[in-house]
Amino acid sequence: MEKVFNLTRDMLDHTFADLVAPDREKLLTCIQCGTCTASCPTAYAMDYTPRQLWRLVQLGLKGEVLGSNSFWLCTACYACTLRCPRGIACTETMSTLKRMSVAAGTEKLSSSARFYEAFRDTVRRHGRLHEVELMTTFFGRARRIGAVSYTRLGFTLWRKGKVSLDASSVNIKGLDQVEAIYRKVEELEAKP
Amino acid sequence: MKYSYMPGCSLLSTARGYDTSARAVVSELGSELIELDDWNCCGANAIESVSYLLSVALPARNLALAEAAERDLVTCCSSCFLNLFKVNHRLNREPELRGKLDEILGAAGLRYTGKSRVRHLLDVIANDIGVDAVANRAERKLTGLKVVPYYGCQTVRPYGEYDGPYLPTSMDRLIEAVGAEAFPYLWKTRCCGGVLMTTEKAIGMKLVSELLAAAQGADCIATVCPMCQMNLDAYQGEISDRLGIRVRIPVLFLTQLLGLAFELPEEVLLLDQNIVPVDNLLRQLQKV
Repeated sequence: MEKVFNLTRDMLDHTFADLVAPDREKLLTCIQCGTCTASCPTAYAMDYTPRQLWRLVQLGLKGEVLGSNSFWLCTACYACTLRCPRGIACTETMSTLKRMSVAAGTEKLSSSARFYEAFRDTVRRHGRLHEVELMTTFFGRARRIGAVSYTRLGFTLWRKGKVSLDASSVNIKGLDQVEAIYRKVEELEAKP
Repeated sequence: MKYSYMPGCSLLSTARGYDTSARAVVSELGSELIELDDWNCCGANAIESVSYLLSVALPARNLALAEAAERDLVTCCSSCFLNLFKVNHRLNREPELRGKLDEILGAAGLRYTGKSRVRHLLDVIANDIGVDAVANRAERKLTGLKVVPYYGCQTVRPYGEYDGPYLPTSMDRLIEAVGAEAFPYLWKTRCCGGVLMTTEKAIGMKLVSELLAAAQGADCIATVCPMCQMNLDAYQGEISDRLGIRVRIPVLFLTQLLGLAFELPEEVLLLDQNIVPVDNLLRQLQKV
């Protein structure tokens, strides 16, 4: 796939790289060697491979980056992070892009975004993860077809005694502490 | 040796056999896992995708709870391990994070000073307890059994704290210590796709299919991560259709495998809870 960008137009956001990377200086030194892409198990399905993505970030093509599916397919396997000859925190940067994309309302793979949010909310309610509640919340919010095959798996797991249907069974004693942590994080993250 | 122990959420449900076999195996080897009271979810891979601070604060609550006990905090789950480990790493890397974490944990009446040492169970068994102790305890040698040592990603990456980050060997050595053969497997740290099996199934299926295809010829797969185990174990029917070959290879937790060599009872091994049946494997062992 060849794509042409007109870099003379005002679509460049030169502050973008500052916001994206946990270590901006390193990201700007990317030499486009492609080791990240070669190491990535899901690059084949990405709109832009990791190598291409870093170049787009450097150029400040914010819309192209945040509207792509690339970072949503990152499984956090850290192969790229470890191999990058420039020491770029590739995996962490992918996570940052996920957060920025949701904040900008441009998430292309909304199923992943809804899954992470369902996870966050389930843990807030119980302190631990309840897998059945997570899956029902997720399928409800993502309105996914295909839930049927997971229901079948869920039934198998239940029959094997692996899952309980009672979400409150995983509640911890320190739920008030967990709630206090969530609230304080929300407060700090709301600050500019 | 005594360790604080955080099983992690999966070990209370889908990976129950990992929890029970881990406790039993460690106890048989003369050490003890003491469960951390009231631990909470570490956030898995999900929380960092929605909030950076929460991805630090959730595991940090456990580290704060563990600090008083002054024992290493052990977890069996690779995701828990990485999330807990990362807190210490990030506190060292980002000076401004300390103040924020103090404020967040302070709101919950907690404080973490950074002293809890985080360990993966594989590290504890391979390096604290040691291969020799495992070999000595193995009453029944698993001779002739070809076992794929599948580490997954997050137990060794990115920090490679206790083993090589691409081609680790600690599990290989433990498999050989109980008389089995570590199946040559170049993809021992290739990702299983994690949550993509749920959110983008076609991609998850491709990754797992490749891992299982490369394991053909082995008798079983050993894992040290509940997510890897679930992904490799639960979809083999669909994957057989996809690959056009019959894939039916048991996927055991390492501690279930060690437990077989220690002749531990089914009540702690819970092999019956694995989705691909282990009957053939047990029959094969009886012939030895």
